[in-house]
Amino acid sequence: MPPEEPSQHILSSFDAELEQLRIDLIQMGNLVLRAVDGSVNGLLTRDIERCSDVIDDDELIDQKQKEIDSRGMSILLRYSPMASDFRAAVSALSVCRSLERVGDHAVNISKSSRKILKHGECPEIGLVKPLFEATRSQLVKALQAYTNADSLQALEIIEGDKKVDKLHKKLSKALPAMVDSGGSDVKGILHLLFISRFLERIGDLAASIGEDVVFISSAEDIRHA
Amino acid sequence: MVTTSPSDPMTELATPVESPAKASPSTKANNPNPIAEQDAMIEIDDVSFSYDMGKTNVLKNISFNIPAGKVTALIGPSGCGKSTLLRCLNRMNDLVDTSKVTTGQIRIMGQDINAHDVDPIELRKQVGMVFQKYNPFPKSIYENVAYGLRIQGIKNKARLDEAVEKSLQRAALWNEVKDRLNSSALGLSGGQQQRLCIARTIAVNPRIVLMDEPCSALDPIATARIEELIAELQEEFTIVIVTHNMQQATRVSDRTAFFYLGELIEYDDTTTIFGNPSVTQTEDYVSGRFG
Repeated sequence: MPPEEPSQHILSSFDAELEQLRIDLIQMGNLVLRAVDGSVNGLLTRDIERCSDVIDDDELIDQKQKEIDSRGMSILLRYSPMASDFRAAVSALSVCRSLERVGDHAVNISKSSRKILKHGECPEIGLVKPLFEATRSQLVKALQAYTNADSLQALEIIEGDKKVDKLHKKLSKALPAMVDSGGSDVKGILHLLFISRFLERIGDLAASIGEDVVFISSAEDIRHA
Repeated sequence: MVTTSPSDPMTELATPVESPAKASPSTKANNPNPIAEQDAMIEIDDVSFSYDMGKTNVLKNISFNIPAGKVTALIGPSGCGKSTLLRCLNRMNDLVDTSKVTTGQIRIMGQDINAHDVDPIELRKQVGMVFQKYNPFPKSIYENVAYGLRIQGIKNKARLDEAVEKSLQRAALWNEVKDRLNSSALGLSGGQQQRLCIARTIAVNPRIVLMDEPCSALDPIATARIEELIAELQEEFTIVIVTHNMQQATRVSDRTAFFYLGELIEYDDTTTIFGNPSVTQTEDYVSGRFG
């Protein structure tokens, strides 16, 4: 008969490695979320130091990526996982890549934020807040969906990306219009446009993580659907 | 009576008998993507099998079709019945006095292979077998390959030479042994001996080649050569392989059947069985959670 607890592998080290991979990714997710929060909140609170911290701390995210890649490849090499284990290991590498790119976008946002804050007042800063909140919510949901292996929540993220896209599009129209109408800080508005674009990309990456979560649980590849 | 002629290996095993109504067709749960009857080389239809005259069935109502010209892997933990089923396909189990197919039919090319008029010796010419432990005869390389042909009554030296060379080439062994065909087969490496056994099997032009863990006694390089060979032989033969090596099953087979405690648990495309099986027991087995 199959064992009483079918979720356990005969090789206990295999279970331990898969679980550690999952924990590593959750930790990386927290680092990345902190970076996104720091980058935009640094801008909104006009805290240049906080933006700089995000840039400095990106090294931690990069290191975590290397650690997770190494563990994931080791699992593939040593345990030749099958079925859901295979999907978990392969998708972990994909989620890891997405998170690392989110971290890079947080750095980009921080760099743009510092330029805006060093340059002048730029009263339009607050315009990115709705987009930031929508994007952050998407990222949090993606991390929760991965942590809880919740494919229903993952599907919600994919649907929710439309809202992020819409807010980004709205800003992309509104900000240049302000320049046309003689907006006070052209350079600042230009960087706000960049930040809007970076947030929209973070939204895409959150949706990509959602697709990975669906693949892990159902083996269904819903990308480009 | 089997009427296979050595000169015409494609001949049907015997005059096809009328197929009985399917007693227990495979359920959608364990066979969600079945092979259509017309594409099947082997039809296994509600087969139960016992080693003790029917007191205990070690195979229980097995039903599935094995497609022609493909590689089908049988997997499952030790004692699940996969090797027993393999040996049912060329009636090797007849050698066990108390063995018995207690229910169902196995049809190869439409012929019930357990029908009274089927000669098991003739059947085995059509359904060759390669074993776990390579077992060349203590004869020369040449004589090993020529053995089956001589039994079939072929004496013409030129014809034997041609068949031996062709079989050794098909078994990817010719270049390694062509200069020592009269040397003892026992002097070959393990991997070479196994390929020689494959050459011996295919020399008589069977329709089906059964392989019972053919690489379990071989090193990784010899294993890779056998796997490469399986891929090449697939073009000419229907191959059924029993393996405990999950990675090997994923590499070499098109379809995979998972057995447990004498039952067929799931049968589907290999990519599905190892990627996203429908049945929890299959998932647990292929991912190393029991076995």
